[in-house]
Amino acid sequence: MVDWSDPLLLSLRVSLLATALTGIVGVGGAWVIARTSLPGRRVLEVVATLPIVLPPTVLGYYLLVALGRTSPIGRVWESVFGQPLVFTWQGAVVAASIASLPYCLRTARAAISEVDVRYEQAARTMGLPEWRIALQVTLPLARRGILAGLALAFARALGDFGATLMVAGNIPGRTRTMPIAIYDAVQAGNDARALYLSVVLSLVAVSVLAAVTLLERRPA
Amino acid sequence: MRPELRARALVAVLTAALGGAALIGAFTVAGTESAPSATSDEEILVAAASDLQFAFGELGRAFTEATGVDVRFTFGSSGQLAQQIVNGAPYDLFASANVRYVDDVIAFGRGDAATKQTYAYGRIVIWSPKVRYRSLAALRDPRIRYIAIANPEHAPYGLAAQQALRRARVYSAVRRKLVYGENIADTLRLVTSGNADVGIVALSLAVVAAGRYTEIPPRRYAPLEQALVVTSTGPRGTLAQRFARFVMSDAGRRVMRRYGFLFPGERLGT
Repeated sequence: MVDWSDPLLLSLRVSLLATALTGIVGVGGAWVIARTSLPGRRVLEVVATLPIVLPPTVLGYYLLVALGRTSPIGRVWESVFGQPLVFTWQGAVVAASIASLPYCLRTARAAISEVDVRYEQAARTMGLPEWRIALQVTLPLARRGILAGLALAFARALGDFGATLMVAGNIPGRTRTMPIAIYDAVQAGNDARALYLSVVLSLVAVSVLAAVTLLERRPA
Repeated sequence: MRPELRARALVAVLTAALGGAALIGAFTVAGTESAPSATSDEEILVAAASDLQFAFGELGRAFTEATGVDVRFTFGSSGQLAQQIVNGAPYDLFASANVRYVDDVIAFGRGDAATKQTYAYGRIVIWSPKVRYRSLAALRDPRIRYIAIANPEHAPYGLAAQQALRRARVYSAVRRKLVYGENIADTLRLVTSGNADVGIVALSLAVVAAGRYTEIPPRRYAPLEQALVVTSTGPRGTLAQRFARFVMSDAGRRVMRRYGFLFPGERLGT
């Protein structure tokens, strides 16, 4: 019997949470970069883009150093929650979030930059505070791009392998996400399972992207 | 502002708030309950060397049948598994292909030294799907393009393969043909998939794979003393000890013997 529900549910859970985390940080960051004059915002964008360029091993290594049991973050986490962040599914969420952040941030940044500033100026003359302009004018006008960014981020999170394997390991029922379950099956020479899991993952990915495409095509 | 816009903004804010709340909730709950799926105490996580893939798979099923305790395995190279355990991976038992890695885990305070036991001795074979190579010297055959061994850096069976090639004085002749598997199961896969012509793999895997093999004389490599250690405490640690006792029991050894493992005191000196 091929047991795929465990890795699939885990993958969906990890990627949904990662997308939420990435969405908040990525859209927020995109707005800051596109609409403020915060010093160092270009550097921020470059740093946030690094996960696209860096090999997953480098990303995984950095995360292990930053979140490992001997790191400050790792220690605080362990003292609060009583277990390490590495080798847990929460660690997998962090890895997937970092890996998918640039896809969300860059797409959202482009969409926000394209919003005509005159709408924002109009809102400003009506006395709307900046945070309400952002939430009620800018972001709604950029929603297609933001949605596309979130979809990309979700797809990337769903497919994350290298960084997740290094940070969260390959623990059945806990951190063995779909990509890692496929790797595990291939390594063990279990070709039938590898094929089955790959097809399931492909179908999920295609359905998600198809849904988003339909959503985007709907008239504004 | 148009009411429609206001409604949309409301939706956006609500979505963000819900997302944030879900996130915080998930992460908070997460601290206390570690597994995403139903995980009772009646389950143990075992990190086991890849050569145990079939033997321990069978032992795990037998143990579950006898006790109702689920055994979930992660197979990998002993060195990589030890590395993960030292870094906090939540396994309950570590079954290594080399006692050295068990000692490492104990030295880092992650294993209970009192539970360390040698459960078997491993053997290596020259394996190929069709051709039967009768000796290491036969691997010089120019028709062989790739020879798969496990990565000697962290896989004990790879180290044994390297030692055997060196002691048989064929290492320098075949060095350029060597390709490395991540662990011994991966090494076998390199050959079964047809990407390598022949491999030096664990006898415990070769007995299951459809191919031909020749055992490499044990004098060619340092003994593959396979040891285990309990790596968790509390009720899960107790369950892990039960599984360890099961591996060492007569019933457990009968299974292990079928996969070609030897036991302490019966090493062949050939």
